Amino acid sequence: MIRARRASLLGILAALAALALPAAAGAHPLGNFSINHLTQVSVSRDHIDVRYVLDQAEIPTFQERGRSEAAVLAAKRTEIQRRLTVTVDGRSVGLTVTGASLGHPPGQGGLALTRVELSLRAAVRAARRVAVHDGTFPGRVGWKAIVTRPGVGTDVRSSAPSSDPTGGLRHYPQDSLSSPRDERTATLGVRPGAGRLTAPNAPGDRVRTTDNRAGDGFAGVFADAASGHGVLVFLLLAALAWGAVHALSPGHGKTMVAAYLVGTRGTARHAVALGATVTVTHTIGVFALGLVTLALSQYVLPEQLYPWLNLASGLLVVLVGAGVLRGRLRRLRAHAHPHAHAHSHGHHGHDHGPEDLSWRGLLGMGASAGLIPCPSALVVLLAAVAQHQVALGLLMIVAFSLGLAGTLTALGLLVVLGGRMASRLRVPPAFGAALPAVSAVVIVAAGFVLTVHALPQLT
Amino acid sequence: MALARPNLFKLLAVAATFVAALGAFALITRSGDGAARSGPSISDGKLPRPGASTDERIRGFQAAVRAAPGDAALGAALAGAYLQKVRETGDPGYYARADVVLRRARSLAPRDYRVLAASGTLALARHDFAGGLGYGLAARRANPDADAPYPVIVDALVELGRYGAAARELQHFVDAKPALASYSRVSYFRELHGDLDGAAQAMALAVSAGGDTPENVAYVQTLLGTLEFDRGRLGPARQAFGLALVRFPGYVPAAAGVARVDAAEGRTGAAIRRYRDVVARLPLPEYVVALGETELAAGRPAEGGRDLGLVGAEERLLQANGVNTDVDLALFEANHGSATRGVALAQRAWSAAPSVRSADALGWALTAAGRPRDGLAWARRALALGSRDAVLNYHAGMTARAAGDGRAARRYLRVALAGNPRFSPLYGPRARRALEARS
Repeated sequence: MIRARRASLLGILAALAALALPAAAGAHPLGNFSINHLTQVSVSRDHIDVRYVLDQAEIPTFQERGRSEAAVLAAKRTEIQRRLTVTVDGRSVGLTVTGASLGHPPGQGGLALTRVELSLRAAVRAARRVAVHDGTFPGRVGWKAIVTRPGVGTDVRSSAPSSDPTGGLRHYPQDSLSSPRDERTATLGVRPGAGRLTAPNAPGDRVRTTDNRAGDGFAGVFADAASGHGVLVFLLLAALAWGAVHALSPGHGKTMVAAYLVGTRGTARHAVALGATVTVTHTIGVFALGLVTLALSQYVLPEQLYPWLNLASGLLVVLVGAGVLRGRLRRLRAHAHPHAHAHSHGHHGHDHGPEDLSWRGLLGMGASAGLIPCPSALVVLLAAVAQHQVALGLLMIVAFSLGLAGTLTALGLLVVLGGRMASRLRVPPAFGAALPAVSAVVIVAAGFVLTVHALPQLT
Repeated sequence: MALARPNLFKLLAVAATFVAALGAFALITRSGDGAARSGPSISDGKLPRPGASTDERIRGFQAAVRAAPGDAALGAALAGAYLQKVRETGDPGYYARADVVLRRARSLAPRDYRVLAASGTLALARHDFAGGLGYGLAARRANPDADAPYPVIVDALVELGRYGAAARELQHFVDAKPALASYSRVSYFRELHGDLDGAAQAMALAVSAGGDTPENVAYVQTLLGTLEFDRGRLGPARQAFGLALVRFPGYVPAAAGVARVDAAEGRTGAAIRRYRDVVARLPLPEYVVALGETELAAGRPAEGGRDLGLVGAEERLLQANGVNTDVDLALFEANHGSATRGVALAQRAWSAAPSVRSADALGWALTAAGRPRDGLAWARRALALGSRDAVLNYHAGMTARAAGDGRAARRYLRVALAGNPRFSPLYGPRARRALEARS
């Protein structure tokens, strides 16, 4: 059995891990000796800009005590200019310092830290392939990252991410499931263009912990936005369109919404109301899950919440379906005896049923369709938070939800209009009476399937 | 009979309903399956292979824990990989990560022996010896047949000065599992009791037994090098340190060992350069003190004083982090700082972990504070097991001398110089002078 085999393998690994060597001679619980550095690169048409940020902890700072600030800065400049190399199309290029600053923010135990920011530039025309290697401070513990930024007049494809979760080495992610970044090299492919940057998601970013099941590109749309390029309107339209297309991928309650409208003989008004409910609940759902994820990211992963949301959604669908079915059956029973009359005044009962379409049921249906936030929407929100672009992220979620709801509403309208046409085509009364009930059964069955699927994930 | 038109519509509509219903099921089932696939079920292939590097293991277990957050054993394995990372780099940020992962694992499975054993290892690494012992014993209660709790229990008992109990547990451990982890502890135990040859023998066994990671083997090779050094065999010591550096390039404890051999061979400049490199990478007080004392011995008091000042800063940082019981810092204060403060630190160290090491620190700090008679009682306690450790015997000898007990002083100083007369560039010559002045 896979599980048993895995357990025994784990047992061995854990046992090996626990065979630690005598603790007395082990590492000392002292953490203030890291040297952290971040290299930010952007390639433009006629130059390459490099911004190097250094954050040095208390102990290495203390080791430099007594030296003048100018001497310390000069030493750092030498180290950086010696060991930070930029290669353009195979040739190493020289970097000129265009700005330098040094500060000593306060650290622990009354000691100081060192913060150095160095701006460097290389005059390079029409670079095709740029390689950056940060060999500074070898062998030292710390956060080491290379980050790319879009340039002017170029299209850049970068091997290094464009995101920096540290906000320029000011705060470090404390996620217990990811390691500090340790990247010293990056390669960039450059073409003439309009300032586009294509960069991978950073490993260890919090956003990566969300499992993007749909495998869609919405998060990629956001990455472009965060890099400062593209118009806001275009972005929102893109989010809207993406939401609309996204609604067509499985698992967005389209069938349930359609079945509900058929089952309750809803009108166009109801279809729109349903769409609006989905938008609101989906937006709220993403925001709430995003907040929970951010607040509890130390303890809970979004993946753990999804099964519960699935369960809640499934149960809600079952309840709503059962309600519709009950109403249908009651109506059927009421019309049961005067079979012959069915045609004449049955028309009244079947055609519009706002009275049997309860708003409560409609809200419940909309809520259940929107309750499960799309993982890709959550990814976008968390990415926005990580990039300090919260407002943009929220706005895009709203647009995304609107697009989602638009598709569902359109589908609902189609069903409603189709129903009208069917009634005009004189659907036989027996079937006309049975169809809503069948729809209700479909809703209940769909709810059961959702619920049953949600259960094993809860273990 | 031909079907009337309405009947045809009727059939079509019914068929369409069924198709719609089927489609709905298909869609729902598909999305359901998708959800189940990405749920908490991981294949064996996702776990790091045995023999993977520590970084590979960390990445593998991080992904596995993300995929199956409810699996406490995976959490324990990830924490183990984090603790190994600290041993390799000295980066204590991984302690905090291991701590979070283990807290979560304990809340999921409070009686899993792997989780408890890893928690004990973390507690010991943070010098919480009583806490480590508690976890180790709980792990053994959870699974009396497992080996994993034993290293935790043995190390905790040794650090807490409970040598009899430690001997019993260690015997059981080495009988059950004769391997690197048990041999290296047997070696340390023999060393504590003054049997350096037996200790070197056991450590050689640990080296040849081989370990799980290159660092583990490099570590026991480094310890073997130290034992050779203590027996005055500088060539084999240098060779052992060199082998450790080959096995794990840049390994800081082994680089410090080479610096120590350099200093003992009189190559002071090379020793200082090496120590500087070590301190730049991993400024543990032990290495900073070694650098400063080598500089003092080389007649460079300004540089030595400046480097030793770093230990004072580290002490402040440890205090800011709530750590106040370090033996190394107590000895530093006794030798180079405030003797009163050294006494206070050593007293706290003794009450937290009454081992021979804390007894030695307390005795030496008392002597430095002008109380050699009190110090001598503690020095005797430090040597109660029969240790032939050069530094311990040097402290005892100088203490006895200050207390006016010349015979005892000579006895201790001879032991200090018997193994390796160049055990320290600063204290070796002092021990010799003291011995010559007496005889």
